[in-house]
Amino acid sequence: MRSLATLLVGLLLLLLQSTVMEFAPVHLVTPSLGLLVVLYVGMATLKWAPGSAVMVGFCLGYLFDLVSGAPRGVHAFVFASVALLARMLAWRLAVRGIVLKAAIAFVASIVAGFLIVVVRAQISPESGYGGLAQAPLEALLTAAFGPPVLWLLARLDGRLDPALLRVGLARRRARALGHGIPHR
Amino acid sequence: MIAIVFVVSIFLLRQSARSPEYLSPLDRGILTMVSPIQSAFATSARSLGHLAGRYVDLVHVRAQNEQLRTENDRLRAELLEAKRGAAESVRFQRLLGLRNSLTAETLAARVIAIDVSPYFQVARIQLDRGENLVQRGMPVITPEGVVGRINRVSGDTSDIMLSVDPRSAIDVVLPRSGGRGILKGKPGENGYRCAIEYLMQGDQAKVGDAVVTSGLGGFPRDLPVGRVSKIVRNSAGLIQGIEVTPDVDFARLSEVLVVVAPAPPPDPEASVRRPLAPSHGLAVYH
Repeated sequence: MRSLATLLVGLLLLLLQSTVMEFAPVHLVTPSLGLLVVLYVGMATLKWAPGSAVMVGFCLGYLFDLVSGAPRGVHAFVFASVALLARMLAWRLAVRGIVLKAAIAFVASIVAGFLIVVVRAQISPESGYGGLAQAPLEALLTAAFGPPVLWLLARLDGRLDPALLRVGLARRRARALGHGIPHR
Repeated sequence: MIAIVFVVSIFLLRQSARSPEYLSPLDRGILTMVSPIQSAFATSARSLGHLAGRYVDLVHVRAQNEQLRTENDRLRAELLEAKRGAAESVRFQRLLGLRNSLTAETLAARVIAIDVSPYFQVARIQLDRGENLVQRGMPVITPEGVVGRINRVSGDTSDIMLSVDPRSAIDVVLPRSGGRGILKGKPGENGYRCAIEYLMQGDQAKVGDAVVTSGLGGFPRDLPVGRVSKIVRNSAGLIQGIEVTPDVDFARLSEVLVVVAPAPPPDPEASVRRPLAPSHGLAVYH
C-alpha cells in the first residue's frame, strides 16, 4: 500500500517534472523530482527496507524511462543505484536540516547525472560522454526543490506508516469508546 | 531482491541497446494510462502560464484609479486573448501552409512534453487522428524547419528524437557551396546545438550559411535545418567541423507535422512530348 502510494506520488512528480518547464524561465533544465522520491526512500532507514527502497527506485526509474522517452532501463538502473547509494550513506550520516537535505539532493543529482551519461554511453556509444555540463544546473534546481519535497514525502509516509496507522486506529477506537463513559 | 533488481535493469539495458524502439505490452499499457494525464498536465501548465503572464502584465496598472483600471484590465485581457488567438492562428496557418506546400503526406500533432531528461533530447507528441499511420523513423517538421524523427510509438503518442540528440543523423546540404554532410546532435553543450559531420574541406562553408535537408532519408527536400554558427578547419585533415544552430526553437515547440508518406518521385519524362502512337482496336479520328 505504502509502496504503491509512493510510486503514485513519484509518478505525479515525474509528470509534473515533464510539464513544469512550461513555467520555468530556463527551458533546458528541470529539477529531478523523481530522483528526490528515490532519495527519500533510500535515506529513510527506519521506514523502508533496503530491498523495498531499491525496488521503488527501479520502478520509478522505469516509469521515468517510459515518460521521458529515454532507452528503457537507463533510469531504472540509475535510480535503483541511487537508492542503494543513499541507503549506504544513510547508515553513516544522519541527514537533518534544510541545508544538509539540499546538499544531499545536489550530490544525488550530480551522481545520477554522471551515472546516466556513463550508462547512455554504454548502450548508445554515438552519444559519447557529453551532457554533463548541464548536470550542475539541474543539481542546483533539484537541491532547491529537495527540502520541501523531502518534507512532504516524510509527512505522507508518516500518514501511511502501517504501525502509525494501527496506533491511530486504536486511538480513534479508544476515543469512540470514551464518548460513552459518563463524566463524574 | 536487490541483486534481482540490478539483473533485470541490466537485461533491460541490453534489450534497449539491441532494439531501442521495442515496447512490451506492459509498457504500452502504462503509456496508455499515463499519456492522458501527461496531456492534461501540459494543458493545465499552459493555461496557468497564460494566467501568470496575464497577472504580470496587470501589475503595473495598480496605481491608476479604479474605473480606468477595470476598463484597462478588461481591454488588456481581451487584447491578450486576441493576441494569443492570433498567434495560434498564425501558427496553425503556417503549419497548414507547409502541409499544403508539401507533396508528401503529413499528419498534424500536438507536443505534450519535451526534454524531460536533459540527457536525452526527446519530445513527446499526441496525434489527433491516424495513430496507426505513424512509425519509427518518420520525419517530424514544422514551418521553421526540421524537428527530428519518430523514435518510439505507443497508441496516439509518439516520442520524437530531436535533431539535436546525439543519436540523430540527418542528410543535409549547404545550398551556397553545395557541400553535403550528416547533421548530428552535439552532446555536452548548454542549449540546442548540432554539427555537420563528413563535410569536405573543399566545400568552403561560412558562418551564417543556411543548412537545408538534402531530400534523402524521408525528409522533404530543401527544408530549413539551421545556420552555420562555428567552423573549425583542420589543416591536416580532409574534413572540417561545422557547428549549426537549429532554426527551430525546441523549447517553444507546440505543433508539428509528421511526414507519414514521402513525396512521390518526380516523373523524368513529364516534360517530354511523345508522338501519338497508333492505337490497336480504337482508331483516332482526325
